[in-house]
Amino acid sequence: MGVVDLTSMAEEQSTLRNEINERLLKLKSEISDYCFQCAKCTSGCEAHKLLELEPHKIVALLKRGLIDEMVNSDVIWTCMSCFKCRERCPQKVAPVEILFALKNMAVASGKQIPGKYTSMLQSILSIGLIQDVQSVSNRDNKTKKRDNLGLPKVSKPLDAVKFQTAITKLAVEKI
Amino acid sequence: MTKYALYPGCVMPTEQYAYEISIRDALPLLNIALVDVEGFSCCGEPMKSMNQLMTLYLSARNLALAEKQNLDLFVPCPMCHLSLSECQRALENNPEMRDRINSMLASEDLQYKGSIDVVHTINLLHDHIGIEEIKKHVKKSLSGLKVATHYGCHLIRPSEVGRPVDSENPQKMETILKVLGAEPLDYPEKLDCCGAMLSANLPESALTKTGQKLQKVQDQGFDVFVDVCPWCHRMFDSKQVKAGETVAVKLEIPVMYLTQLLGLALGVKKEKLGLELNLSPVDKLKLGDK
Repeated sequence: MGVVDLTSMAEEQSTLRNEINERLLKLKSEISDYCFQCAKCTSGCEAHKLLELEPHKIVALLKRGLIDEMVNSDVIWTCMSCFKCRERCPQKVAPVEILFALKNMAVASGKQIPGKYTSMLQSILSIGLIQDVQSVSNRDNKTKKRDNLGLPKVSKPLDAVKFQTAITKLAVEKI
Repeated sequence: MTKYALYPGCVMPTEQYAYEISIRDALPLLNIALVDVEGFSCCGEPMKSMNQLMTLYLSARNLALAEKQNLDLFVPCPMCHLSLSECQRALENNPEMRDRINSMLASEDLQYKGSIDVVHTINLLHDHIGIEEIKKHVKKSLSGLKVATHYGCHLIRPSEVGRPVDSENPQKMETILKVLGAEPLDYPEKLDCCGAMLSANLPESALTKTGQKLQKVQDQGFDVFVDVCPWCHRMFDSKQVKAGETVAVKLEIPVMYLTQLLGLALGVKKEKLGLELNLSPVDKLKLGDK
């Protein structure tokens, strides 16, 4: 099973999708009721000025049940998960967690995943880390790698097959 | 010597070598012995937007591996530290989830017990080693060095999960720097995000966040900008020139890991500590030349 199966809405992934849906409905019915739209989240949001993310509006839309509309929107991918909204909400609503659930839903629904997320996942599947050992330049433009800097071997999963099987199962396991 | 297992994560051991080198050079001088453990994987935090169960599983897997060593886990990356802490909290509060994760971990002969602590660089230095102990080992005071600190969002928030420092007024790094002789000063943008989490899908915006913060730091006349996160450092140091371009400013602010400054103060030679790998103009500081 490869990344495409992992992230697409394959038949066997309906359990995962149902689960995320349940999570969102729970957030909608229990959590969003506490929000009284004070917009303290938006006033501190790191993505607000630059990318027009308005967390209090996300909560309001969730309250009205506009889940599919948000799952399909690019705006959910502008959150930089600084956790200021979760920290500062006087009602403990945590818009950042709603955004994570919405993004998970977008992925489980087989929507196109933006940017490098797919390649990071692919790398975790093959070597356990989001990227392999890189060559870097120093200030004199000389190339350096772990081994010529006197660092030991990188810690990675020892049995790649067992590791990969476990990760792959996650996509179909009920949360 | 107090022993800790080292959890390196992804970014530090594959790219941000200066952090790892300075950790390995400086901490033994404070009687900390680091134990390398085989078999670790990503903590799962970068996958949170894709699949949160995967994040939980990967964190539990790494904790289970560390538990086999019977040692507390030293986690230099704030993202990993948050992910592992959140996992501990989730599995403690939810026995059903814990059983489910454990049944998945069984395929690699692992079991999560919840028996160890996870420690970041800041609380290792400030709370475990302690300021008085650090003071005893300072050989070269960093006197006169005006420092702007940057903690990294994942280290300070959400406090509900239990973070090593205060969420709105973090001061532990300042306390450490003062005992090294430096002059840390607060500034209005101190809690601003570096934007690194947007690098995956909106790299230009990520660089803009970095540029905006560094510009303010440069304008305020700081000598050096100090961080404790490999993701943040990649933005502020490795990509500083590009970040400057996004805000149309020539940025020339030295950026260092706290552990590099610590090493210099403890008397480690400046040829060590991975200082050649900082791409920002750290030579300006004439550190360790005295």
